[in-house]
Amino acid sequence: MKRILLVAVMLTTLPCLAVSEMAGDVPLYQEQAIAAGIEHQYDGPWENFVGGGVATFDCNGDRLPEVFIAGGANESALYINRSEPAGKLSFVRDESMVTRIKQVNGAYPINLDNDEWIDLIVLRLGQNILLKGRGDCQFTQANASFEFDGGAAWSTAFAASFYGEDKYPTLAIGNYVDRSAPGSPWGTCSDNMLYRPQVSNNGKVTYSEAFALSPGHCALSILFTDWNRSGIDSLRVTNDRQYHRGGEEQLWKVADQYPRLYSRADGWQSLVIWGMGIAEGDLNADGFPEYALTSMGDTKLQAVDVQQAVEENRPAYEDIAFDRGATAHRPYIGEDLKPSTGWHAEFSDVNNDTLLDLFITKGNVERMKDFAAFDPDNLLLGMHDGRFSEQGDTAGIALDTRGRGAVVADFNVDGLQDLLVVNRSAPVSLFRHMGFKSEYGPRVGGNWLGIELNQKGGNRHAVGARLSIKTGNVVQTRRVSVGGGHASGKLGFIHAGLGVAERATVRVQWPDGEWSAAYRVFANQFVVITRGDEQVSYWYPPEPDSK
Amino acid sequence: MIARRLIRVCTLGLIVIPGLQVVLADNNIQPAWSDAAIHNHIELNDYSGELSKEKLDSLVRAGQSLFSASFTSADGVGRPMATQAIIPTKRKRPPRSEFARTAGLDANACVSCHHQPIAGGAGDFTANVFVSEGFQLSDFDSTDPQFSNERNTNHLFGAGLVELLAREMTTDLQQIRKDALLEARSKQETVKKVMASKGVTFGEILAHPDGRIDTRNIKGVDHDLIVKPFSQKGVMTSLRQFTVNALNHHHGMQATERFGARWTGTDDHDEDSTLAEMTAGDVSALVAYQATLKVPSGKQLTPEWLAASKRGSELFDQLSCNSCHMRTLPLDSLTFTDPGPFDAAGTLRQGESGKPAIYDLAHYLSTLERNEQGQWLVPLFGDLKRHVIADSQVSQLGNELLSQRFVERNEFMTAELWGVGSTAPYGHRGDITTLTEVIAAHGGDARSARDQYIELNESQRSDINAFLKSLVIEP
Repeated sequence: MKRILLVAVMLTTLPCLAVSEMAGDVPLYQEQAIAAGIEHQYDGPWENFVGGGVATFDCNGDRLPEVFIAGGANESALYINRSEPAGKLSFVRDESMVTRIKQVNGAYPINLDNDEWIDLIVLRLGQNILLKGRGDCQFTQANASFEFDGGAAWSTAFAASFYGEDKYPTLAIGNYVDRSAPGSPWGTCSDNMLYRPQVSNNGKVTYSEAFALSPGHCALSILFTDWNRSGIDSLRVTNDRQYHRGGEEQLWKVADQYPRLYSRADGWQSLVIWGMGIAEGDLNADGFPEYALTSMGDTKLQAVDVQQAVEENRPAYEDIAFDRGATAHRPYIGEDLKPSTGWHAEFSDVNNDTLLDLFITKGNVERMKDFAAFDPDNLLLGMHDGRFSEQGDTAGIALDTRGRGAVVADFNVDGLQDLLVVNRSAPVSLFRHMGFKSEYGPRVGGNWLGIELNQKGGNRHAVGARLSIKTGNVVQTRRVSVGGGHASGKLGFIHAGLGVAERATVRVQWPDGEWSAAYRVFANQFVVITRGDEQVSYWYPPEPDSK
Repeated sequence: MIARRLIRVCTLGLIVIPGLQVVLADNNIQPAWSDAAIHNHIELNDYSGELSKEKLDSLVRAGQSLFSASFTSADGVGRPMATQAIIPTKRKRPPRSEFARTAGLDANACVSCHHQPIAGGAGDFTANVFVSEGFQLSDFDSTDPQFSNERNTNHLFGAGLVELLAREMTTDLQQIRKDALLEARSKQETVKKVMASKGVTFGEILAHPDGRIDTRNIKGVDHDLIVKPFSQKGVMTSLRQFTVNALNHHHGMQATERFGARWTGTDDHDEDSTLAEMTAGDVSALVAYQATLKVPSGKQLTPEWLAASKRGSELFDQLSCNSCHMRTLPLDSLTFTDPGPFDAAGTLRQGESGKPAIYDLAHYLSTLERNEQGQWLVPLFGDLKRHVIADSQVSQLGNELLSQRFVERNEFMTAELWGVGSTAPYGHRGDITTLTEVIAAHGGDARSARDQYIELNESQRSDINAFLKSLVIEP
């Protein structure tokens, strides 16, 4: 009898106890590009249907992230960040010729020579360019000094990793359609290229030797990833089935002298999509990354089969996008039921609730009638049950633009993740995170941390390092990574939402595998962790009147 | 707000089946004879903006009622699937018994521990609590000191003033940091600044021209420079934060502002089938009650006791006891704002609801003296700073095995001595029965004063006792 009563009460009350889909904070974004001084447009013919990337990094030492934006047929532009801490976004365009480059598809920040300043790799239709940072946001073209040929391909993707005891990064460049090959564009994909650092006796690094990662299948995003937690990166490539013939998604084993593809025999499962962008994030903090793969149609969310990865070294994946509500396969507002077209993907905790969220740019390639014309960017907020909730409309980012590359970054150093989206044939969107939706207007949200890693010697910015961030019984992980997304990358503070935790214990697994001791840090702070230091430094942005 | 709406919908649609514990706490319709101790939940919006004396009285009365209420399962007592942790944490399975001295539930009412000599006061050893991090498995809830620290109950009299002092000190320290950074950036050189507020020094910082702060030499306060005046350890920022923690820990009464759907994804985080157990308004009422508790006062003494007390008072200063147990700290303003300015997410903050409640503690605490600058002199006999209180020879007060919230095990907040004459036993574990013994247990930073005390003759020590025992909470 008791059991019957219990069932009865469950039936009557469970629907009430269930909370509406998104019970947590929804960010409120406000588009402010023009007001913030960013007036820029990515445009051009067929070759610029793809690309449209942005790199964000600090080039003048004030720790506020600048942005370098591709222009396609237009000139690229570097915007210096003059935002008021926790206040108005403000950027000033750099007028020097060196950063005004045509036929730029995208860009990634990377420190090539371990000096104080971050450098840029500029991906182009034609020769790629290395811009060496010299401080105060001054750059020089440095292809010659790095003996970097730059190629002549249609470059669309980049990733960097540090192997073994290398002090300098290994670079991978993803290339798209080979327009000069017979039959182009169908089935004519350029090879992707791998550049290992060559260090001379006097310690100078060059990138004179390129290794072709053949076959290429028209890559639109590449990512170095430690998929099996071995400490050794592989290269994940997402390819556009629109142009390749017989191609598929790829995973390269590149640590050995001669890279090779993971094959069926190795456990690689064929996947053929209109691959546009890759993001990795560790949704369940098990140390094994999950991947978001954008495409035309549904987004894939892949979880590695841990048992096969660890015990058999086999890269087998399960697609969990449907179960998690992350397929984002068609526009979430409007009447258009046609498939969506996804580009940049990036995991970040935009509502500071400790759960990773997924931001995806969307946009029709160019009047493709079989795909949605109005295709707003996605903001998939992670929920406590492991699923995602689409909140792009409520958040204010559902604009009628064709998004391409993007970055999720805190431009005004207030602990809230802003968005910059490069749109095709339309002005850049700069969404300032205003706080969280409430009946009283934007309100404060969860606690957060911004973490900067430094180490002496090589790999100054600790690319490849892992962070373990513990609050109570909850652990989050982050990885310092340069690559992926869609033609867009970043280096800077690593953001973590802390929810209601006021403190966190942070451990760093440095790129060489060594774990740090636990650092005790307080919430709502930017911290700088320098390898070997017993304590973190706290960093505070300049007061408005001290800039 | 979403959660509260759902509750109302549920209330209308609920089929009541006798004998079943499906309870909706947010209803305001509980009859006086019901099992629930809370008959009316407080609406936060009814107490926003500047509160008149009458309005404050009403809020305080509501808080007093909640403070002395013996909560029941009809109110939401119990957290079968949640731990006592400050950060909402799920259990993997429910404990065999809901009530346990180790991890809680360990009390039915706030006043069941805070009652000595009157409501709002301290507690005997029997009212000790166990502070642990809230393991997911109840199997680890243990009195074993490797899993939890045992703590005695503090009194709350004058707590509103303590919080106001801490807020002003926090403002001072953060301003010093700001000034140091401004100077370092302007001069492009590293700048060293002593951290001090209200005559209390907290070590020093180095500000670098690139905006980094070296916190290694900060003493007695967290590196975020927020003075956290509450708990034996000095790790809680506000009465509001402590109240939300304690309601969950001791009663399994979960405040919506931390355990609600916004932060946990569910309206019933503890899975006790009771929703909205403590509203933000309820917490505000409890804060108002505690913040307005009177200031401990001096006892009416016989001439003989008065003479001894005066001598003891002089000795207290001669031994430099007052270097930490500072007689007074100056306070600029008696205006109390709730929510306060320095809480973090999970405790209601300004900007998360409508206007904060603003009230003048002078309505309740008008007996304070003022200095020449017009500041109120708060006679707390404390410095709101943490000190090392044990060393290798005198180690009794360093008897914990766990650090708490990044504070080392031998470091504790200076105990405020106002009311000390009414609140034996002593020490953070409440296991020291006399003032003489607890003074003798002072090591670490207090070692010198303690050694001098030991050297005193019996009569002099008696005089100090006479002085300290004159600092009472009058019923």
